[in-house]
Amino acid sequence: MSTTVTSPPRSADGTPLRAHPPRDDRIAFLMLAPVLILLSIFVIVPTIYAIYLSFFNWSFYQDSEFVGLRNFTNALTDPEFRAAIRRGVLFVLMTLPIQLLLSFLIASFVTGVGKRLGTALKISVYIPTIISAVITSITFALIYEYSGGLLNAVVGLVGIEDQAWIGDVRLALPAIAVPAIWMGLGLMTLIMIAAMLDVPESFYEAAELEGANWWQRTLYITIPQMKNVLLYLLITGFVAAIQQYELPLVMTGGGPLDSTTLPNLFIFNHFRGDTYQGYSIAAALLLFLVLGAISALIFRVLSSEKLVD
Amino acid sequence: MKRRTLLSAAGLSATAASLAACGSGTPGQSKDDADAAGDRTQIEFWHRTFTPFENEWYADIVKQYNDAQDTYFVTDVEVPADAWEQRVKSAQAAGTMPDVYTDPSTMDEGARLGQFLALDDLLDAEQLDDLTDQAKELVTVDGKVYGYPLLLEPQSALFWNKEMFEEAGLDPEKPPTSWDELYETCEKLLPALPDGTFALTTAGDQDTFAWATVGQQYQVSGHFPITDDWSEADTDDPKYEELLGFYKTLREKGYIPKQPLGPYVEAKAYGEKKCAMMTSGSWAFSEIASDYEELLDSTGIAPFPTSDGDLSDSVATLGNFKWVIDAKTEQPEAAADFVSWCLAGDVENLVPFFVGTQFTKAPARPSVADAVQAAPEADDAPWSAVVSEDIAPASISNPSYPWDILLAMGKALEKGMNGEDPAAALKAAGTEIQKVIDREELAGKAPQD
Repeated sequence: MSTTVTSPPRSADGTPLRAHPPRDDRIAFLMLAPVLILLSIFVIVPTIYAIYLSFFNWSFYQDSEFVGLRNFTNALTDPEFRAAIRRGVLFVLMTLPIQLLLSFLIASFVTGVGKRLGTALKISVYIPTIISAVITSITFALIYEYSGGLLNAVVGLVGIEDQAWIGDVRLALPAIAVPAIWMGLGLMTLIMIAAMLDVPESFYEAAELEGANWWQRTLYITIPQMKNVLLYLLITGFVAAIQQYELPLVMTGGGPLDSTTLPNLFIFNHFRGDTYQGYSIAAALLLFLVLGAISALIFRVLSSEKLVD
Repeated sequence: MKRRTLLSAAGLSATAASLAACGSGTPGQSKDDADAAGDRTQIEFWHRTFTPFENEWYADIVKQYNDAQDTYFVTDVEVPADAWEQRVKSAQAAGTMPDVYTDPSTMDEGARLGQFLALDDLLDAEQLDDLTDQAKELVTVDGKVYGYPLLLEPQSALFWNKEMFEEAGLDPEKPPTSWDELYETCEKLLPALPDGTFALTTAGDQDTFAWATVGQQYQVSGHFPITDDWSEADTDDPKYEELLGFYKTLREKGYIPKQPLGPYVEAKAYGEKKCAMMTSGSWAFSEIASDYEELLDSTGIAPFPTSDGDLSDSVATLGNFKWVIDAKTEQPEAAADFVSWCLAGDVENLVPFFVGTQFTKAPARPSVADAVQAAPEADDAPWSAVVSEDIAPASISNPSYPWDILLAMGKALEKGMNGEDPAAALKAAGTEIQKVIDREELAGKAPQD
């Protein structure tokens, strides 16, 4: 059997002529262009510039001084920076598991009830997501007020004395975790509802025929089928929680005694207060590395894969 | 031209036109300002949001200046106080700082970094000499003047509600003067106060402790937490431990709330009668007069109690907002003319400010102080003498060492208030201060008297 090989068209000097990209590719590049341009302007170029500046004692009024890796070593050896990162991870542990669990339960409930009630529930749970974080912070700060606050009025009804919800080192971080959970619940629940509705009904029908109860159906069908969505929520939830910034800024200013100074607030405070800017930039880049490393770890542990119906 | 292209062009033009109609093309400037400016040299002036009266005064003084001459035009920009720091940092990074702005910091760091223009060559010598000694000290670094102060105000004073004192069986005209008297007063007040009302409010977080208690730190120990030559930390002092113990006692006994009722700089909690006594800067009186007028007659102001009751040593530092000229201004003459006209010129420009702020701020120029005291309204403000005669003269100037040193002590005080071991808290502060000394190579850089 013979095979015919067609050589590509060549120019006069013998080099192959480059074929025109297919029309679909051109449209794809065209549609990607705005995102790529914006990403370059607002993310890629500033990041490269930030990396460059992190090697300097950057002053706005004097010539910047090259300091090598000193800003990075200063940040890495700063116990307050390390404490802020640890606090950020603790904050993730306080918020993300509860958010995932509550979202899952609410989503399960919404998919199991009638359409009208389900819609009402979806709207109710989504409303906090569209409220500004600053408004949420102010609202919760009023709830947590020591004198005349709503929460102390409620606990007072059962004979508990007034608590310094955001003034006590032990209570302040959990106190700002509550509005963080509340704000993140809506989007997470909607995504879970979408994922649950995507699970083929035939799986459940077969399981029911086999006599599987709700727990078994959830454990062996729903959760495995939602694996990729859960992975997405885990990563985005982790990144959002560790980067939480508005709540401690407005509600506590990072206090008492730095107990709510999360990593981004720590960096922001240095940006506002430092004479030179190299340290805050280096700290921000180190946080970026921490986020990337932990996200990669989550990906590796819970490797994503294509769903097979 | 194709119809689609024509429509797109028309849309873009309309958008550009509407955007242009919104402003002048100059950041911070409205179209009206641009029209009024005409071909005059334009500069920009930033100040924070203060009380409503002060904001009106700032807007008015700029308008008066613009009306008074035809050479320069100033655009006044009021920046929300809580956004001030980030806006200034962003503008500094982008090189878009205003020509003139108000600055509350000590001048040393800004002068060292080259942020401010020295005024010596821009203002007349007699205008600079017209400042009080205290005011001049605040703006002078190594013999050069880097800002022109509008006012001096004690950053710590005691306010008390005379009606609440009477209800508790206390003499409403006799505020406590020592720590022991303060404890006794609080002890008597507490049973007479309704639930949720406290005897006293003070600074409650490390940032506020950092600047609001510098005078207290000095009063108890007779020195700052850094040696005079700035070569070593100097926090290992039993007197500092006593100061930490003072705040611990206030917290443990329930005299002050476990959670601040509001920012130290605001009088809201006092105005809402959530406390019988309040510690704040003298400016709080103008807030009371503005927002809680019904409390004006029943409010007293006095120096904050000292550890031993000797009020000749004030526990207050003097803070103030200086008007400074940014080093990168392209119009230094215009900026200097504006500062000179508003602050160093006709005293009548300034008298309304001090009268309107209820005589709670001390003018930076003796000639203005005399004019303010001569104002007819001064007779109805008996507290004005307390601020200008009892508190301000005994106050000390803000120290000029870096903020991180102030913050280290602020953190120690917050730890002490929260019940941590005072010696350990001060040791940690000493370590932090030494780190700052080494990092910024401060040894030997202390300003010479």
